Amino acid sequence: MNTAFPLLSLRNVGVYYKQKRGIFGQPFWALKDISFDLYPGETLGIIGRNGVGKSTLLRLMAGIIKPNRGHFINHHHHQASLLSLQLGFVYYLTGRENAILSGMLMGLRKKDIMAKMDDIIEFSGLHKFIDQPIATYSSGMIARLGFSVAFQVDPDILLIDEILGVGDAEFSQKSANAMREKIRSNKTIVFVSHHPALIQQLCDRVVWIEEGVSKAEGDTRKILHEYHQFLLLI
Amino acid sequence: MINLKHLSQKTWKNIQLFPMLNLNYLNILSRYWELILYKTYADLRAETERTYLGFLWWIFEPILYMSVFYLFFAILLNHQTDNFVPFLLIGLTAWQWLKSCLSHGAETILGNQPLMQQVYLPKIIFPIILILTDSVKFLFIFALLLVFLWLYGFPIGLPYLALPVLLFTQLLLTIALTFWLAAIIPFIPDLRFVVENLLLALFFISGIVIKAEVVPEIYQPYYYLNPIVNLIEAYRHILMYNTWPNWSTLLLISLFSLIGIGLGSRLIQRFEHIYPKIMR
Repeated sequence: MNTAFPLLSLRNVGVYYKQKRGIFGQPFWALKDISFDLYPGETLGIIGRNGVGKSTLLRLMAGIIKPNRGHFINHHHHQASLLSLQLGFVYYLTGRENAILSGMLMGLRKKDIMAKMDDIIEFSGLHKFIDQPIATYSSGMIARLGFSVAFQVDPDILLIDEILGVGDAEFSQKSANAMREKIRSNKTIVFVSHHPALIQQLCDRVVWIEEGVSKAEGDTRKILHEYHQFLLLI
Repeated sequence: MINLKHLSQKTWKNIQLFPMLNLNYLNILSRYWELILYKTYADLRAETERTYLGFLWWIFEPILYMSVFYLFFAILLNHQTDNFVPFLLIGLTAWQWLKSCLSHGAETILGNQPLMQQVYLPKIIFPIILILTDSVKFLFIFALLLVFLWLYGFPIGLPYLALPVLLFTQLLLTIALTFWLAAIIPFIPDLRFVVENLLLALFFISGIVIKAEVVPEIYQPYYYLNPIVNLIEAYRHILMYNTWPNWSTLLLISLFSLIGIGLGSRLIQRFEHIYPKIMR
């Protein structure tokens, strides 16, 4: 077990949503009992089947929602945010304006995005199109811009939900490579996926979530093995 | 797994009890103001880009709207000689500002749900952005109204100096009401239908199309409890009758609005982490 001081700690965390509106809504516990720690500099994988509460867990870690029971502690008030593509994009604005807006929504200061604008333009390959409204873009171009902006955001803790590469074949390769590099760097990252292969490739440690409960936490290979065994059983 | 209590009791306590003492607090505040201003700019720009005439619509649309009232009252009901048209336009202009903020503002927190599910943002910024956007558009219309009044023959007098105070008072009232609506609507979306009709009712009892004299004597005290009645009368005092508005009334409205803003923003903060969980 890691002896360093954790960045995030979760103990017996539960989160519920109301299934219906108003006072008749029965609580639906998307997370029931989650416990684990996230340590500085590691890449923590979260594996589990669809609908076991992985996205809710990411929202919790990003500070978007709070636990209804248990404890979630962000020890140093570090900024944890989701990698979200095309966040807040407005159709009638230019690529540049959307980059600024999206970056600001994700927590960057305007001057920081301005400073990174050349990188964004370069990486997205949009060049002269950057000052055109994105309504004129192809969906591939929008995806490229979305990724290039999101990639510039550098929170203390980066939360990634399945996304590696996006866009057409060529850009997908390029963006996935950039993402891999970032994940392998010394950044603290939580990577959520239902793909064991990707987790195996990228993560130092893994937490396995089943039906809103953290079943196991530990070494990637060991947990993935347990997960495989479990999948064979059901 | 390590013992949590042992680890972090200290940091936990400090940060939870005194968020204001967080060193980053001012930095965060200025970051959100920057975001609010840029988003306001972006929304206004997006709106002008959507149409051929762009921002000219901010002027044409109210002109069209007011022409309808002009045709009805001045031509059809023959109110041409008694200064009814300027009387009406002043009321309509002030009312439209409040009304657009309220009916658009009611939707802001609910409408931004996809965004707030992706990133943590203080929800209070959504109604603020909307109020700013609609207020910028209002300023165009208001300038237009002033031009119209001058052409119509009302002189610019000393009481014009009270205009900024009056506008600010109305802004405070608008913010207070919008915060409350925006805070509550996500929980009871059905209210939206009620709000539209309440606004219509408010339109008729706020002295926009009628003069205070036509209200029956016994209802007069109640009639003047409506802050909008007082605000609109203050506009008319300044712009038409060249007299100073009633300061104590304005002060009272401001005070109540400030309390409303305080409580409303508390309410929104209280539900900060609940809004993203509400089903749309």
